[in-house]
Amino acid sequence: MREFAPDVRLLAGGTDLMVRLRSGRFRPNAVVDVKRVSGWSSQIVETEGVLRIGAGVTMTDLVADTKVQRHFPALVEAASVVGSIQIRNRATLAGNICNASPAADTAPPLLVCGAIVNIASAWDERRLPLHEFFLAPGKTALAPSELVESLDLPIPAEPVGSSFQRITRRRGVDLATVNLSCTLNAAGEVRMAFGAAAPIPLLVNGTVASLEEMTAQARPISDIRGGQDYRQAMLLVMARRALEIARGRLSR
Amino acid sequence: MAESKWVGQSLGRVGGEDRVTGRQKFAADLRIDNTLQVKFVTVDCARARIIAVHTEAAAAVEGVRCILTAADLPQPVPKCGPAYDDRPVIAVGETRFHGEPVVAVAAETEDAAERAASLVRIEYEELPPVLTVEAALDPASPLVQDHLKSNVLSEHHFGWGDVAAAHADCVIENDYTFPMVTHFAIEPHAFIAAPDPDGITIWSPIQHPYVLRRVVATALGWPVARVRIIAPDPGGGFGGKGWPKVEPLLAFLALRVGRPVRYVMSLEETFQAVRRASAKVHARTGFDATGRIVFQDLEANFLIGAYADIGPRVVSKASYSACGPYRAQNARVVSRALLSHTTPSTAFRGFGTPQASWAVESQLNEAADRLGLDRVEIRRRNVPDKDEEFIPNETGADGNWREALEKAAAAIAWETPLGPNQGRGISLGLKSSSTASASFALVRLHHDGSASVLSGTSDMGQGARTVFTQIVADELGIAPDRIVVVMGDTSVVPFDSSTSASRSTVFMGNAIIKACEHVRSQLAEIATELGTDPELPHETLLRAYYGSARGEVIGLGSARSAYVAGHPLGGKSAFWEMMAAAAEVEVDPETGMVDIRKLVLVSDIGKALNPMQVETQDEGSAVMGLGHTLMEHLILDDHGRIRNLGALDYRIPTIEDIPAQLHSFLIENGDGPGPSGAKGAGEGGLLSIAAAVGSAINQAVGVAIRDLPITPERIWQAIQKEQTHGRQ
Repeated sequence: MREFAPDVRLLAGGTDLMVRLRSGRFRPNAVVDVKRVSGWSSQIVETEGVLRIGAGVTMTDLVADTKVQRHFPALVEAASVVGSIQIRNRATLAGNICNASPAADTAPPLLVCGAIVNIASAWDERRLPLHEFFLAPGKTALAPSELVESLDLPIPAEPVGSSFQRITRRRGVDLATVNLSCTLNAAGEVRMAFGAAAPIPLLVNGTVASLEEMTAQARPISDIRGGQDYRQAMLLVMARRALEIARGRLSR
Repeated sequence: MAESKWVGQSLGRVGGEDRVTGRQKFAADLRIDNTLQVKFVTVDCARARIIAVHTEAAAAVEGVRCILTAADLPQPVPKCGPAYDDRPVIAVGETRFHGEPVVAVAAETEDAAERAASLVRIEYEELPPVLTVEAALDPASPLVQDHLKSNVLSEHHFGWGDVAAAHADCVIENDYTFPMVTHFAIEPHAFIAAPDPDGITIWSPIQHPYVLRRVVATALGWPVARVRIIAPDPGGGFGGKGWPKVEPLLAFLALRVGRPVRYVMSLEETFQAVRRASAKVHARTGFDATGRIVFQDLEANFLIGAYADIGPRVVSKASYSACGPYRAQNARVVSRALLSHTTPSTAFRGFGTPQASWAVESQLNEAADRLGLDRVEIRRRNVPDKDEEFIPNETGADGNWREALEKAAAAIAWETPLGPNQGRGISLGLKSSSTASASFALVRLHHDGSASVLSGTSDMGQGARTVFTQIVADELGIAPDRIVVVMGDTSVVPFDSSTSASRSTVFMGNAIIKACEHVRSQLAEIATELGTDPELPHETLLRAYYGSARGEVIGLGSARSAYVAGHPLGGKSAFWEMMAAAAEVEVDPETGMVDIRKLVLVSDIGKALNPMQVETQDEGSAVMGLGHTLMEHLILDDHGRIRNLGALDYRIPTIEDIPAQLHSFLIENGDGPGPSGAKGAGEGGLLSIAAAVGSAINQAVGVAIRDLPITPERIWQAIQKEQTHGRQ
């Protein structure tokens, strides 16, 4: 990576990379297939109140994992609608984050659960909260020599309910026009994150009484996938619905 | 008369297993030795004046063999097209749509061709384009084709009675729009052109090989005999593979380099090559107090592309029968094919009728509401009886269309109560068939009693091979697995006009029956000459006549749709393709999302030669219709570039969008002109789905949307507008 930096791209699932290589949007000098790098993990491991998702874990793996299902149902909901079955069999959770699409379906549930990104380079390691990881569309805090090794999801110490919602132009196999995830605790505190509603997936905090104020923090744009007004209005609709589902899960 | 053992059965698809397992060789899978790969160079806008082309850097790329521009072609550069010779083989002086080739590069590898193409530098000046119906109609707009006086390429007037004098109790007047949509065949368009000692051979997944032969021969100035077309079975055509596009350019390129050249379009390039005409229809419909149509006053402006292609024919044919399967006492239809700086629009399943049907059927719904009539009842009162003439001097109603209407209403349980935010809609679609066309077929009965059928039809997935096999199996009493259907090679198969307008089962089917009759009459002559029983097995008869393992009997048959001088379409419609569709939907009023709970289709098809194939064609066309109804539209920017260029942002229905319940029914009264009384089928769903679903959405949430596609966002906006209105 150092030899070709900064003109190098990493390939895990390749579901975003291959599209851009084909369209000519990326023309790197080198593509590094990281899947056989020693120490590369495709495991989901639970230790000391944290679920560690290795960078090789695919959406299909994630959705099928009982630990993830138990603690992070919103993430399962999001991961199970990324692309198509074939895409989910290859696409990795870490890759979805590194692609830094404002519309990434897994970003909102990861943000609301307080995910930490474990970053490694040849000579160093560091940890970064996910909400500091996204900088701009397609741009992350990763330095050219760094890669994401895993994601840490803190298992909630207190009971929380969570859920995921999205709006698409057809009934699946589609990019989100807008998406949203929320968590709710017994005190009525709400964490909410939305995608395709700002240049980066956005995390906001509030309470059950402040949904309008929370969604008003979004800055959606009009593009071919949806108008600004529609996106803004759908955030509130989804926020209410997501909260309702989260409330049901909290009480279970 | 032959016994009907195979016709009418749902025989499995001939070639179906190869098609779904990837064994079928599509045009892009073919490998011809010594072939050069081709890429085109375009400019980044629709309309530009080409100032200069710099090819030095591109020519220096290793493996590049030819860089061709307009200057390298015969001067003036030949123009061609299926109906009008108006499209230059390559852009000359000015581009007229985004994606029009300006330079063609041929190289030893695709990579070299692509690299060289990226190094060609075109100096150009962008010019303002004409991109909308309004701009095309504006006399102040630039001309798309300089030699014409306006951008109205053709204007058509149809009608009867006196609309101006007619008295109506209720007049409904609205504008409807239908978007530009693309065919989205899964198989890419792929072509090989190869010079040979006789002239040139072109491989193309073309629906109409004989049209391609003529167009290429005309462009080259050659007799058609020197041009051979080989058309591998297309992987989806839908009209998009009907008419020649870049084949003449590839022919010139192949002749220049003296080697085969191959060009495979990407999906994005396909979007820029073929599309359906968008349309704006102004409809004014008058009714009497009982809901009968007093007049239809329609103005339909179709935005075709930069060149005619088959656009004017789409417009005239669709507007001729635009009033649908109804009695209109008076009618006035004015339609126009408007040139624009966009991808040339072409044939597309439904051939212009969906654009008109969307307007006319929606008008009926609004009138029913205004008059306090049920939406089924208003149709019941206007549908012509069997054999009734509903367009003067034209083929009358050739089916019991009211039966289709009633069946669709019953199947959707029209009278039963609905839940909140649910609605039902019903719509009829009617399309004229092929006029003035001809099909020839050869049936070769071989010495061992097996048979080959030689037909110019293209099997693009509609199942023509299967139906033809069934017909021959019955006509000659041969097992289907001893029959082979040969298609697509103009040096082998006899002439056929086209695989279009749902005409093949009727016309090629009839031609094949005649060819089989010709075989049987020759067998009878042989038996008479030998003094033997004519019912002997074919192989026994042939052995007795020719000796062991030699000889054959060749039957020739033909069928045509008569040319009628003075008829606006060149001839009467051989049959009518008619479908009734009914939809039940539930709309989420907060998001605008539509759930199609149930969709029923009823086609009047005379006789299903293969019921499974007819049903799957109906269902496929209905799902395709859901595309333009709910989600599909090409969106252009101010430069005439397609903003949603590619599969990511141009959405077509997936399996998840298919209604929870999808039922298709057939009405078989044996009243068609084809084999066993068949009519054509396979386009019906495109005609009637939009209005059925639109009507159901209207009933569910009370908003009338007149612009397709009816996206969730458009529904939401309409609801917001309604609520704002309500509060004021």
